[in-house]
Amino acid sequence: MRWASVVGIGLLAALVAIILLRPAPPATAADRAEALAGGLRCPDCAGLSVADSHTASAVEIRRQIDELLAGGASDAEVREHFTDRYGEWVLLSPSAPAWWVLPFVVVIGGAAALAAWLVRRRTGTSPVASVSAEERRLLHDEAEALDA
Amino acid sequence: MRYLRWLLIPAVVIPLGWLLFTGFGRDPTELTSPLIGQPAPEWRLRNLDGDLVASVDLVGEPYVVNFWASWCIPACVDEHPVLADAYENAGVTVVGMTYQDTVIDAQVFLARYGDAGYEQLFDEHGWVAIDFGVTGPPETYFVDADGIVRAKQFGPLTPELMEEHLATIGVSP
Amino acid sequence: MIPGIGHASVLLGLALTAYAALVFVLAGRGGDPRLVRSGRRAVIGSFAAAGIGCAAMMISLLSHDFSVLYVAENNATTTPPFISAISLWAALEGSILFWTLLATGWASLVLWRHRDRHPVLMPWVGATLALVNGFFFAVLVWPGNPFALTSPVASEGLGPNALLQNHPFMALHPPLLYLGYTGFAVPFAFGIAALVTRRLDEEWLRIVRRWTLVPWTFLTLGITAGAWWSYEVLGWGGYWAWDPVENAALLPWLTATAYLHSAMVAERRGGLRIWTVALVIATFTLTLVGTFLTRSGVVASVHSFTQSAIGPWFLAAILLALAGGLTLLVWRLPELIGGGRPSGMVSRESAFLLNNVLFLGLTFAVLFGTLLPMLVAATSGATISVGAPWFNGVTVPIFIALLFLMGIGPALPWGAASMRTVRQRFGLPLLVAGVVAVAAFALGLRAPGPLGTLALAAAVATIMLDEVVRGARARGRTRGEDPATATWRLATRNRRRYGGYTVHLGVLVMAVAVAVSSGMALDRTVTLGPGESASIGAFSVTHERLIVEPLASDPRVIETRAELTYAGQRSGSLRTALRDYPSSPTAIATPAVSTSLGEDLYVTLLASDPVSGTVTLHLFVNPLVVWIWIGGAIVGLGATFAAWPERRSVRVGAEQPQAMPDAAQAEGA
Repeated sequence: MRWASVVGIGLLAALVAIILLRPAPPATAADRAEALAGGLRCPDCAGLSVADSHTASAVEIRRQIDELLAGGASDAEVREHFTDRYGEWVLLSPSAPAWWVLPFVVVIGGAAALAAWLVRRRTGTSPVASVSAEERRLLHDEAEALDA
Repeated sequence: MRYLRWLLIPAVVIPLGWLLFTGFGRDPTELTSPLIGQPAPEWRLRNLDGDLVASVDLVGEPYVVNFWASWCIPACVDEHPVLADAYENAGVTVVGMTYQDTVIDAQVFLARYGDAGYEQLFDEHGWVAIDFGVTGPPETYFVDADGIVRAKQFGPLTPELMEEHLATIGVSP
Repeated sequence: MIPGIGHASVLLGLALTAYAALVFVLAGRGGDPRLVRSGRRAVIGSFAAAGIGCAAMMISLLSHDFSVLYVAENNATTTPPFISAISLWAALEGSILFWTLLATGWASLVLWRHRDRHPVLMPWVGATLALVNGFFFAVLVWPGNPFALTSPVASEGLGPNALLQNHPFMALHPPLLYLGYTGFAVPFAFGIAALVTRRLDEEWLRIVRRWTLVPWTFLTLGITAGAWWSYEVLGWGGYWAWDPVENAALLPWLTATAYLHSAMVAERRGGLRIWTVALVIATFTLTLVGTFLTRSGVVASVHSFTQSAIGPWFLAAILLALAGGLTLLVWRLPELIGGGRPSGMVSRESAFLLNNVLFLGLTFAVLFGTLLPMLVAATSGATISVGAPWFNGVTVPIFIALLFLMGIGPALPWGAASMRTVRQRFGLPLLVAGVVAVAAFALGLRAPGPLGTLALAAAVATIMLDEVVRGARARGRTRGEDPATATWRLATRNRRRYGGYTVHLGVLVMAVAVAVSSGMALDRTVTLGPGESASIGAFSVTHERLIVEPLASDPRVIETRAELTYAGQRSGSLRTALRDYPSSPTAIATPAVSTSLGEDLYVTLLASDPVSGTVTLHLFVNPLVVWIWIGGAIVGLGATFAAWPERRSVRVGAEQPQAMPDAAQAEGA
């Protein structure tokens, strides 16, 4: 089956290359507006983004985004326009980088701990670990009986 | 050393308990306004009679901006007399801003629940509401004589809250 | 009269569960075995009491008895009977009453099924379940009394929550979710019992696995049905918004899924006892955390129940369950450490354990994101939002890693894998992934996310298919069975394994559908006069007429309805409406969905002008969305297949069917 993996990897690599090398079309103002609206919280709905909502405020905020972009504002300036009014609350994703990184730190730390545990279990088979649960329970019961 | 493992229990239970406990008594939808201490947004709107009114007309005096809507029941109805009382008795300038509303519905509301006579503006597209960072009626902002926002009331006003907020802009009843 | 009976039955339920807890503890401490029977009867009695309570509430709702506060706040004389009936679980107090019915139902089922077995464990299982159910009865007696009366009695009620009366799915997804939530008390009770009695052994694992799998199945179906409900009702074109109420259901699902996987390693290779019992305790605690978050008003959610005094009660219950479980765990820690056979870095068990790391990472991420606004508010006073962009950005990479693992894990042998087996097993899947990706690209799929997910899903599906074919072929050769018979017998003799593969297949279907539907949806907003058309994707939508009229089933509700026709790959008519409910300040949108296996046409009415008949519509074309629900159904089927009771004589080591005597095989089908 070696040829199969070679052909498979070749096809996937070619596809990745095509996707990466294809010149990406420049982001239009509409694309930018859509992306910005997706990251802003609609003030008068429950947890939806401005892009997903049609309340009066969401419609007006979308209009303001278009207006700001037409006036040459950068994405950061558009976001700032709204955080100046609503505070950080209006951003659907918190801006502090620590809050993005933390879940991945937990996953990677967990994976490292798992690897260390597997290695230890493989190399250092301690005498305790080789005692079965049944034996340990008997030992424990005997110890308790002696204590009593 | 073997007793250290018992520390696991408080290490898990206490932080979680504290965090969840802090949630009590706080409205998670309430925003602290970034406008506090900042100049108030400027606006120019028509009132319910169709005349243009602008914020520059209010420069030099403290004023109260109240966002409401005719469908905001009972909260806007409850606070309505509090605003009227502040306008009539404390002599503070009050500006009503009705938004996400229609002129007719707003007029019906005022006819039914009393019109104290202060300016009622129609924020048709919610421009001013967005500039103030309003999430939903009722919300009230207190602007001092220098044009700086000093306080924000989220939800309906009571006489006590009104008094407390008016004090921040130098108005005493 | 009826509300009085309801309240009395709740009091009776509290008394019975308190009695049951007492006698079970006495029995567990070596008392008379007849105490167990008495406790069991008391628990079954509490189930009956909860049933009478629910019946009383349902009668009060159906007869519009506004002397009951809950009825006055959630019902009106014009409410149709079906909506009245499901209002039992539509608001806070009623939902806890219904919850208690299901919880006591699970407790009765467990105690009855195991009435003749596990004499050491069962008293403590009974005691734990009675304590848990006693808590819910206590909530119904004190802070969340559903039968609280009001006076003077109004002649008309406020009517049900507008969002909840718009779709028949409201009858389906809360019961499924609650069956899942309440069922997780059973593995928790077995965990506590095993820690108390020091019986955390292979037998324990076997019992708890099934009692976790069944509520897990209900929760999976409930989450899927809930997503379907929000797609059909909320009108924004999506089905999952990372709202706290959704996260609350996801959290215990994640830890329960981790448990189901770690239990396989524990059964097969031993060890992991601290880990498995900790997962069981975490799962139950998270069901309480979820209930707390959605019912105490501490987080902003699309479906917060009204704020009430039950928050502190649930917080106390969470801390008690957590502290109690941890105390027992730490107490027994020295006896639980170790055991288990060593295994290689690359092996099936290491894949299972990495799966656990990823599932717990997801649990952490979802819990952290849900609680982060509270944490920031408590420490800095600022209000922040954590929404879909954050949750998608953090969880999607972990979900993709899980998808990888889902393919790799089953292809690896237990113990340790050699490079040669790895090469042998991954050639064909790589080829299939490459061919599928290139074919999809050639057919016009360009977005990298959906393309990658599709290729990955194709590889994982190939690995699973390869496994099934290998097994069936081997069986066919040794026994001379035809391929179909061999496959069926192989599957029914290894229900857990092949049920698991079916679950994985459903997950793959869902993953592709989620990736494609979120990456390739079209949407546009149009304003149309009568007779005008707009196109979206391959469809052309025509606005026929605008109608404003009271709803036939409830004349207090005014419906503004756009009647549309559409043509394209298929044609038909759609009605999308805005409904003005007296109980709701804003109109509730009722989206119209034309579903097909390929793509949904989804239309929401945003605004209308009754004078000119003009409507503003939000049009969506959502590809493959229906496959999310189909995938959920496949997961449910697979899990049911895996949980289906086997004849005890047939249940031997799952991996070696040939080791079983032929006679048992012949009659086992």
